[in-house]
Amino acid sequence: MTDLTRRKFTVLAGASLAALSTPLFAPRALGQAKPRLVVIGGGPGGGTVARYVAKDSAGAIDVTLIEPLKTYTTCFFSNLYVAGFRDFKSITHNYDKVKKGGVKVVHEMAASIDRDKKQVVLAGGARVPYDRLVIAPGIDIKFDSVPGYSEAAAQVMPHAWKAGAQTQLLLKKLNALKDGDTIVMITPPNPYRCPPGPYERASMFAHVLKKKGHKKSKIVILDPKPAFSKQALFMEGWEKHYPGMIEWQDPKMHGGIKSVDPKTGEIKTDLASYKAALANVIPAQTAGKIARDAGLADQSGFCPIDPENMKSKMDANIFVIGDACIPGDMPKSAFSANSQAKVAAMVVRSELVKSRAFPARYSNTCWSLIETDDAVKIGGTYEPGEGKIKQASTFVSQKGEAADLHKQNYKESVDWYAGIVADIFG
Amino acid sequence: MIVWYRICRFSMVAITVMIATAAPVWDRSGAAGAPDMELGRYLATECMTCHQSGTATSSVPNIFGLTETRVTEVMKAYRDKTRPNPVMQSVASRLTDEEIAALAYYFSKSKKP
Repeated sequence: MTDLTRRKFTVLAGASLAALSTPLFAPRALGQAKPRLVVIGGGPGGGTVARYVAKDSAGAIDVTLIEPLKTYTTCFFSNLYVAGFRDFKSITHNYDKVKKGGVKVVHEMAASIDRDKKQVVLAGGARVPYDRLVIAPGIDIKFDSVPGYSEAAAQVMPHAWKAGAQTQLLLKKLNALKDGDTIVMITPPNPYRCPPGPYERASMFAHVLKKKGHKKSKIVILDPKPAFSKQALFMEGWEKHYPGMIEWQDPKMHGGIKSVDPKTGEIKTDLASYKAALANVIPAQTAGKIARDAGLADQSGFCPIDPENMKSKMDANIFVIGDACIPGDMPKSAFSANSQAKVAAMVVRSELVKSRAFPARYSNTCWSLIETDDAVKIGGTYEPGEGKIKQASTFVSQKGEAADLHKQNYKESVDWYAGIVADIFG
Repeated sequence: MIVWYRICRFSMVAITVMIATAAPVWDRSGAAGAPDMELGRYLATECMTCHQSGTATSSVPNIFGLTETRVTEVMKAYRDKTRPNPVMQSVASRLTDEEIAALAYYFSKSKKP
């Protein structure tokens, strides 16, 4: 080898090492650990952000998802399970494909977040360090927001607002009803998970009772709100399909919910008392405990975020997505969580491996089934504005629409379900 | 000598891989005035929520592998509200011509996951 050749080698090698010092390869080449993303919660928000960061960073970011359950039953479409349109298996998903997508899945409860040390502490005591943390813990039920209700009472009067065993219990109780029985639903105050959900559930209860030939059974909805999502559409559908079966009462009509008694099934309002053969009590909600314990929530019980990037306003290394965050004009829905996750994933990658960043954009659509092949929808697009996630456009089904349009809505919702669960779970 | 040779060979391979990764021959997104593939990939994440499992006959259809012309034509029709469906009209309402071009380019070059 001549000197000249050796110099050529040296230049080439130097150039190659310089080329290698990009974020994609530098940590490995220099013997450093890869940047670490840790995600708490394997639902629509957490599953999506973990999968997208793993996929789009192509191994350059170490992604760990912490989720105690080995399978996840979706709240969305759980009303369709109650009505018999879906079986339980079809709304329950595992994490096999998430793992195959390069995400380390830890099936253990995340007990707390040590923000100073940037570590997640697992229930067993192990610590998982992070460079960026995304939390998607969903909601906790505020059992004491309904007088007489408790976690124990939920075994008799299911809320079924976290899908799984509660949903199965609700179906069991629904199937045991006799003609002439009364279902009493207590719906939650704002803000809560899935704004049209309680009213879709009432519709699905009515569908089951009608199918069983009930003529005298009633569904009484005691609402702490003066109005609800897609109200005119639900009421039109109820009148069309279940005339006289569903009675909705706003606070002026019931005067306030005074107590529930899980032992007797009695539910008292200021103006009346009901003997519920099935009580579906959906209390007020708050951000998942781990978010509140970590000091990421404000006095509302939910977590303020920067609408430009889904970062917590309390900690720039932590993103809060899904039902636990304060989403501005967006509803708390699986679609919203999935949309927020994509913004968070894009920002995480841009910060950890210097990928390109783009302006945040969000979207949502909520479909609600009222009766077989009769679904309505509401939705919109959202962008940062006025310090929050601000609605940019909106749409909602209209009263009096043709039946084939509502049938099309239902088909669309079924396709959406297949799409979003593939997006979340692979 | 052997060490230098190995470094050189490794470096040349690495450079080749990186060039191939950064600029595939079919990717014209880096060319002046060409659609922005990365922008398209980001915007397409919104589409994935519903279209990921679509087939040719489903109500939310498969859109992977469609031609740029087809995607552009359809998205502009939704934006102009000459094509029905409020969900898609809402999605398209905020897209610029450049963004539609980026989306069209991305989907024309992408396979269904």
